[in-house]
Amino acid sequence: MKFKTNSRTPDQTTCVLEIEGEVDVYTSPELKQNLVKLAEDGVKHVIVNLSRVEYLDSTGLGVLIGGLKRLREIEGNLVLVGPGMRILRIFEITGLDKIFDIYQTDEEAAAKEGVSL
Amino acid sequence: MSSFQPAPSQGDTVELVIPCRPEFVGIARLAVLGIASRMPFSYDEVEDVRLAVGEACTHAVERAGDSSAVIRITSVINPNTLAITITDDVPAGANSSSRSEETIILEEAGIDQEGLGALLMEILVDDVKIETGPTGTTVRLMKNAPE
Repeated sequence: MKFKTNSRTPDQTTCVLEIEGEVDVYTSPELKQNLVKLAEDGVKHVIVNLSRVEYLDSTGLGVLIGGLKRLREIEGNLVLVGPGMRILRIFEITGLDKIFDIYQTDEEAAAKEGVSL
Repeated sequence: MSSFQPAPSQGDTVELVIPCRPEFVGIARLAVLGIASRMPFSYDEVEDVRLAVGEACTHAVERAGDSSAVIRITSVINPNTLAITITDDVPAGANSSSRSEETIILEEAGIDQEGLGALLMEILVDDVKIETGPTGTTVRLMKNAPE
């Protein structure tokens, strides 16, 4: 199954995490590990780029919500960027589009979150 | 999909049995994608069926923990309706894996992970029935083609 993440940290407290492929019950534990590690490393702002995600299910949503909650507790945030129509629809039908900040591009997300890329 | 496929016959049935483990759920989704593509469904409707079946299998896998349980996916193809039954043999109360930190975080936030999966199924297909018995759970999904 195709699943890959790629991250870059423009500064000590900001990370852009690009996810590629399918996020499901098999792959979401790896995504969770990524997010937990970032928080342990002191990252407070995570920009999750979903533009190359082809499939996302309730376990993927759960991991993203978990990450969001952890970061907001330390006055950080986890924002989403560039979900395709199918992925965006999943957030919309579950009402989670009102919980997450969703942006078109990494640049827009960084500007709105007040972080540098 | 190709327009050269013959129309599905009344009651054609496809069965798939997979181990009730996370790495096999993608195989079930792939098979269902192929089956749903034979129906007069739009691209979005095919994707809806794929996600709903994925959620049903995930529900089984999450209850199974590390077990030898299996999931049987039976798809009955009618000209305008696709009926998919997802049956597992995970006994009731077999949740061997303790509640994950994620589940706890979600509960604190007032979100039920299992509820998210059920909500998705409800929205994505026309009819959902979940029957839980002592020897396993059966999820019946029904998707109708547009009139």
